[in-house]
Amino acid sequence: MSDNPETTFSNYGMYEVNETLDLSFPNTEIRIERVGKNAFSYFRKNSDGKIIEKMIPLKSDEIKIEVAPIRPLNHPARRTNYVFLKFDKEIYLSSNSAASIFVHCPIEIGIFLIHDSDKESLDWVTCNPLNSRFGLYGSPDTGTLCKYAEVTLATNLTDSIPYVEGVIKIIIENNLSSGQTVSKVIFPITDNSLYYEDSKTIIDGLRVTLRKRAVVSIADVKTESVDTDWTKSPTWEDTTVSTSMEMGLE
Amino acid sequence: MPLEFLQSLSDMQIVGELTVLSLLIGGIIMAGGVIVARIVKLLFNKYYAPTLPKDTAQNLGKLIYFGIIILSFLAFTSSQGIDLSGIMVAGGIFAVVIGFATQSVVSNLISGIFLIVEKPAKHGDTIQLPDMGISGTLLDIGTFSCRVRKFDGTVIRIPNEKFFTSNIRSLTVSTVRRAEAMVGISYKDDIENAISVIKKEILITMPFVLRIPEPEFRVEELGDSSVNIQILVWHPKDDWSQAQPILLTAIKRALDKAGIDIPFPQRVIWDAKK
Repeated sequence: MSDNPETTFSNYGMYEVNETLDLSFPNTEIRIERVGKNAFSYFRKNSDGKIIEKMIPLKSDEIKIEVAPIRPLNHPARRTNYVFLKFDKEIYLSSNSAASIFVHCPIEIGIFLIHDSDKESLDWVTCNPLNSRFGLYGSPDTGTLCKYAEVTLATNLTDSIPYVEGVIKIIIENNLSSGQTVSKVIFPITDNSLYYEDSKTIIDGLRVTLRKRAVVSIADVKTESVDTDWTKSPTWEDTTVSTSMEMGLE
Repeated sequence: MPLEFLQSLSDMQIVGELTVLSLLIGGIIMAGGVIVARIVKLLFNKYYAPTLPKDTAQNLGKLIYFGIIILSFLAFTSSQGIDLSGIMVAGGIFAVVIGFATQSVVSNLISGIFLIVEKPAKHGDTIQLPDMGISGTLLDIGTFSCRVRKFDGTVIRIPNEKFFTSNIRSLTVSTVRRAEAMVGISYKDDIENAISVIKKEILITMPFVLRIPEPEFRVEELGDSSVNIQILVWHPKDDWSQAQPILLTAIKRALDKAGIDIPFPQRVIWDAKK
């Protein structure tokens, strides 16, 4: 896999390490180096000067690395499976109408060690730590802690921001008898797979249905697989069963 | 030969109808009961306890263990032909005496049962007992006492009665917590500007501070020497150490960068003769 000629940053994909491998991402440098016949060293330096070093002893004398986008759940610490996307522009939907939008969604980059046929999580990085913060949906005692990001609308599925944000397609259906304004979406992102090509990322889509349940207006959020021939990212975190979320309308 | 041996044991009377053989059988019943109790407790701890809350698993484990032991004891007494009803009548007065003597023990036991039923806090919760000045992590709620690991690493045992009747402040029951700080700026500095730089610094340098709800700023007081601003920020419940202890550092850094004074206490003295 060759480096991206326009940015000099490394693309996502598989890398074989013979002696030394240097990977470069915005604000982050990674070096994997052979230190013995069956041992490699891993070195990462962030923009804030933080250094991570690991030793990787192996049975074989070869090492393969996969670099792939992963869900934005790890920085600054793993606390939740939910993501709170606040749109920069509100979406107004008249009654009994539907819209399909593309939205940027933050991502992190996972470094996977390919060991026989397994892909093991070695490290992760975030290239935009300032947009990787927590937010609360609901009240302090009963609310849901989410990873929060203020995001912009994208023009299409391939309009992702390399290494920083992927694109997610959201279909919003308003089955209510009145028009509704949607300014945010909250969902468990562990149900959504990520796909990559070069330095771009697509995330599985969402279908948001605004409907009435008894006397309360709610929004059903469900995951929809995206149809693409891009490479599917390995799963960084342990897979956990999660259910679709119903959020109140505001 | 073995039959003869057993016959000889049954002929050896100790007291009344109590023989060496019946005592041996009783001993085997008790030993069997203890072994069965241990095996059942082991199986329970291995297969069922992991699916239950730790406190419930611990108490249920004890209940099962001692339940089997008591059943074995009852089987032992009946095998020896002991009539417990007589002992119970005779022990009535003794029980009253023991009851008075063990009042606090019983009180702790009953409080423990209420604590298990009410569940004001569970294993692993960070709690504060303001009446006793104790803060720490609740390790377990036992039969007679609770154990709390204080933040200095020491473990304190609190009798269940005291724990039950205390005010218990749970610090981890909510999803998020709030950290607070107060800072004074000089009267010549712009309040809006000070708030703006502090907010920016907090959002950039404190990754555990929530964006929603936003950091809150309140002009708390126009003090003698300074305009006092209260800063309130929310953070995930487990990340207190990433917010409260470093909040004032971030505020001071922001004010220093912006050249905003944190004034010392000062007093203006007017000389009436001039």
